[in-house]
Amino acid sequence: METKEENEQLNKTRGGFWTWVMASVIFRLILIYFPQNLNLSSRPEVSTPLTSLRRLAEGYWLKQASMSPYAGSMYHGSPLLLSVLGPLTVKSIEGQPDHVLCSVLFVIADIMSALLIRATGWKLQMAYKKSLEALGIINRLVTSGDIAALVYLWNPFTIVACVGLSTSPIENLFIILTLYGACTRLVPLAAFGWVMATHLSLYPAILIIPVILLLGYGPDAPPRKLFLQKGYCKTGDKNSSHVHCAQEEMINRSKEQIIFSRRPVVLFFFWATLWSIYVLVLCSISVKQYSSLWEMFQRTYGFILTVEDMSPNMGVLWYFFAEVFDFFRNFFLIVFHVNILFMVLPLAIRLNHRPCFLAFVYIAISSMLKSYPSVGDSALYLGLLVLFLDELADMQFSFFIFCGYVGISLLSPVMHNLWIWRGTGNANFYFATAIAYACLQIILVVESVGAMLNHDRKLRKLSVANLQDDES
Amino acid sequence: MAQTETGKETAREIPKMKPRPIVLLGIFLISHCFLVSVVCCTAGVLALLLLPVLAKNTYISENALMPGSASSMLSNHDISEANRLAKDLSGLNLGLEDTGIESRRILARYLSDLGAEVSYHKFLSQQNHLHPLHFFSSPDGLMRENFSCSSYGVNTVGIIRAPRGDGKEAIVFVTPYNFGKSDLSETLSLSIAYSVFSLLTQVTWLAKDIIWLIADSQYGEYDSVAAWLRDYHTPSFTGLVSSNVDACVVGNNLEISNDNSVVQGKISDGFRRAGTMAAALVLKVTDGNEQWDDTLGIYAEASNGQMPNLDLINIVNYLAVHRQGLRVKVQKFWSLLDLKWLEFLGKTFELLGKLARSLNPDWKFGIPASDYIEGTATLASSLYFQALGIPTGPHGAFRDFQVDAITLEISPKVSSSSKAKLNEFVLRGGRLIEGVIRSVNNLLEKFHQSFFLYLLTSPSKFVSVGVYMIAFALLVAPLPLVAASLYADANKLDFGMKFDKSTPVATASSERDITFRSWKWLSAAKEVFVIHMWGVVVLLLPYLISQIPDLSPTASFVSWVLLSMLSLLILYLILGSPFSHSHASLKGDWAMLKSATISAVFIGLLLMSVVNFATAEIGALLMVPLCLMAQPLKLDIRAASLRSFFRVSCTLILGFIAFPPVAFFTSKAVFEGPDSINLGDFWNWMESLRAWNSATYVYIGMVHLPCWMLCIHILFHSC
Repeated sequence: METKEENEQLNKTRGGFWTWVMASVIFRLILIYFPQNLNLSSRPEVSTPLTSLRRLAEGYWLKQASMSPYAGSMYHGSPLLLSVLGPLTVKSIEGQPDHVLCSVLFVIADIMSALLIRATGWKLQMAYKKSLEALGIINRLVTSGDIAALVYLWNPFTIVACVGLSTSPIENLFIILTLYGACTRLVPLAAFGWVMATHLSLYPAILIIPVILLLGYGPDAPPRKLFLQKGYCKTGDKNSSHVHCAQEEMINRSKEQIIFSRRPVVLFFFWATLWSIYVLVLCSISVKQYSSLWEMFQRTYGFILTVEDMSPNMGVLWYFFAEVFDFFRNFFLIVFHVNILFMVLPLAIRLNHRPCFLAFVYIAISSMLKSYPSVGDSALYLGLLVLFLDELADMQFSFFIFCGYVGISLLSPVMHNLWIWRGTGNANFYFATAIAYACLQIILVVESVGAMLNHDRKLRKLSVANLQDDES
Repeated sequence: MAQTETGKETAREIPKMKPRPIVLLGIFLISHCFLVSVVCCTAGVLALLLLPVLAKNTYISENALMPGSASSMLSNHDISEANRLAKDLSGLNLGLEDTGIESRRILARYLSDLGAEVSYHKFLSQQNHLHPLHFFSSPDGLMRENFSCSSYGVNTVGIIRAPRGDGKEAIVFVTPYNFGKSDLSETLSLSIAYSVFSLLTQVTWLAKDIIWLIADSQYGEYDSVAAWLRDYHTPSFTGLVSSNVDACVVGNNLEISNDNSVVQGKISDGFRRAGTMAAALVLKVTDGNEQWDDTLGIYAEASNGQMPNLDLINIVNYLAVHRQGLRVKVQKFWSLLDLKWLEFLGKTFELLGKLARSLNPDWKFGIPASDYIEGTATLASSLYFQALGIPTGPHGAFRDFQVDAITLEISPKVSSSSKAKLNEFVLRGGRLIEGVIRSVNNLLEKFHQSFFLYLLTSPSKFVSVGVYMIAFALLVAPLPLVAASLYADANKLDFGMKFDKSTPVATASSERDITFRSWKWLSAAKEVFVIHMWGVVVLLLPYLISQIPDLSPTASFVSWVLLSMLSLLILYLILGSPFSHSHASLKGDWAMLKSATISAVFIGLLLMSVVNFATAEIGALLMVPLCLMAQPLKLDIRAASLRSFFRVSCTLILGFIAFPPVAFFTSKAVFEGPDSINLGDFWNWMESLRAWNSATYVYIGMVHLPCWMLCIHILFHSC
């Protein structure tokens, strides 16, 4: 009876899901028709030197003119992107706005990302339900996959990044593909996603740790200690045979959670090597005529790491490197980039039982500290955040963070206007919003990690109570 | 049992929590938010009233300006030249069209005789309309489409190349002149400008080019200046606009080549440019006043409450008062001058100031009551005109290109028809302009030293951003506190309810509700969002209504109101009315809604204070008390005490006044008398805001109105 109702409800929500997805597509298409009015593609928050389609079109033009696409410090993206998107930037349909084909491609990328998030959410939830059952905790979960997909699709940041002609939807797609592949244990897919994401924007390279953990231990689960406790207690009392069977099963399952399986990890490395060789070969074919692979690395990764372009953006690095003395520049470059790497290991140790959540934290941190952040990065981690709705139900300050995001995303264009167009403000005004935004992201990360750890504590309490009940 | 459990839980948690002092302070403030909000709001209003007392005397901040350090070189010879021009211009007695062409030709001849470069600039007068999406884009991002050849104007531009400059900087002065039918005062302004111009062609100290723009004001002063500036800053190689204008002009044939060949070399039809503009002065002469000597009115407000650098006003004021002996005035609300309570307030402050001085002679606090009243009237008008966001003169067009500009309105004493008096007047005006130009000429960089954000309380007194922000900050400070305390209360309330309901009754779904209590604000946020969407719809409606031809303002206003109500009804039908909750709404619902509303108001006001401070200040005065007091009427009626009655009446009055049309009509009745109210006025007012791209229009539609609506929702909440 209950299951029937549940199914009905599920069908209903599924229908609702698809209507909302369609609505988001239509909304995007409507917005694509007003590119001049919105003028989003020239906003510093939307398109960075790395993701701007205008720069890509320039690079394509240079390539067509038999020059290196990286000449003149305009284009800093991947040559593969140039070959895929480049022809689309030139082609224009009569009576349609420019770059309409690219925009449609970005919309498709967004939809695919959303669907992958949904599938990842399902997978995570099934696994989580199983592990909770193994611990004997009954919990009703919400369909966080659907919600996360819709949040991703309807997030104004995602919409703006998609309509504003930046390539971040495609970068996001590959990152999500990595997570999806790792969750479903499709090792080649995960490796492909990881290689492509790293190739496109470098920072996803740190996702290798969550991916290894995902492949080794399986998706997010409560701390492994709990399973061990459970196993010991169960083996302690042997009353009857059928209980014994159940125990065996339980122990097996819990062992599955605990043992690190090496095979998929090795496979992952193998595939990653294969894919990266493949990508490099493709790149070298693409750039062979007018430049070299070395130039490509210099102009893409080098550009990211040395923060050459100091035009204002949402991040905190441009202001700093505009102010810093030249002879300190290298030192601070190292400091800023190592900042991300410093956090990788401690977080991996603390959250190793929740690799997907770890991936979210990594993405959030790197989007906060990366050299050319844009709203597209924020859209990605906000979408992933919702995947952990059940675990983060007791998150504090959610309302405050929400208001902060709304306020900052409105204040930032106003400050930019005050500085650039009116001349009554100055760079500090705009940078103030960037700092506030970074602080907000820090609060978000800290609070979500805190809520996750609290959730683990709660689970431990519940499972201990369960054990005591069983014993008594 | 449940109670003991909670007890245990809290007991377990207390030793864990060791809040830091700053958190403790926050908790303290939140728990006493009622007292804090009363104190802060009162202090905010008081600080606003104190602003005229706190105003500082202006001073010239940029040392390079050195106003008045050189003696004026303008002589009677220049004046007589100017008089000759004026005589020639007024001597023309031709048809309307021909007068324009002929007087332009005379002007061009005079200018080129002086050795200046002369060019004509043709433009089409266009109506600018607010496209809501254009608000954040650049000023030249506005594309204008509809052309009509019927209304084109021709500006005449004279340029002097500076002998000591590199041609990279320029100073502009503008005299609006109606070539169709000009009157004496406009000719007077021309002759003042001409006298200065003729002097400047001879001087050797000029380091910046001088541009004299004789703006064709038959289609409005602002439009002609704005069109010239747009073309100045956007070089169009084969632009659509210019070709259109040329097509129009060919028919009307602006013949320059008829002039003698010597002159012809200097007069060009193409667009002439000088360097970037350091400053601009718009010079106007109005008909004489009866009360005082020659007066000088300064208008400085540009679009969205932007002001020119205070130094520009300072030098004009300094030179006008100390060198030329003009009486300088800025706009003020005359009706405020005879308000009784203001006089009382002024006297109180005076008394306090005296008291303070008697205690310690170093405390220079307090000004005479009459000064206070004058200051308040000026401050109020300064606030109002900044809040409107409509430029008060052609100088507004310069501000869009980051050029500091002001309009100088000189008016001679009436009955100064005698020749000598007129000459005297032209000499004074000319010397003032010359002094200002000489001062700006000394400038090495852009104006940056002094304030951009300030309010004037008299021509020589100002309130800077650091001071007036205090009043605003005090006013909005309670908002986040109250929002936080309401939010915390609402969460706690549910927490308590969880244990009130005995556990067996609680179903799985309610359990889930409880687990998600920290996300409960989502429904309130949804409602706030929906109402803001309604605000956007209301904002866009005048767009549609103005498309209907032949609609009187009153009819438009009524249809606007009706359509807005209709759209609200439709929204209710789609998304469910908040008044008819089918399911029993939870106790904390209204508190959560109020918390979300207050957050929205806070964000909106903060944003607006950055865009246009004056709007935010006035909006905060209207909105903040209402937002803080709003509470469901049912609760108060249930309580039925004196306090709740007082609260209800206060809230209702505030809610009535904060409704934008009511606020408009009330202020109109206060300032202009009750018999001047006309329903169509509000429509006209909003239309003018819309036509001038004012951010205030966006504020009213997207912050003020939705938040007012949400407060009304809270008032009639069924809790």
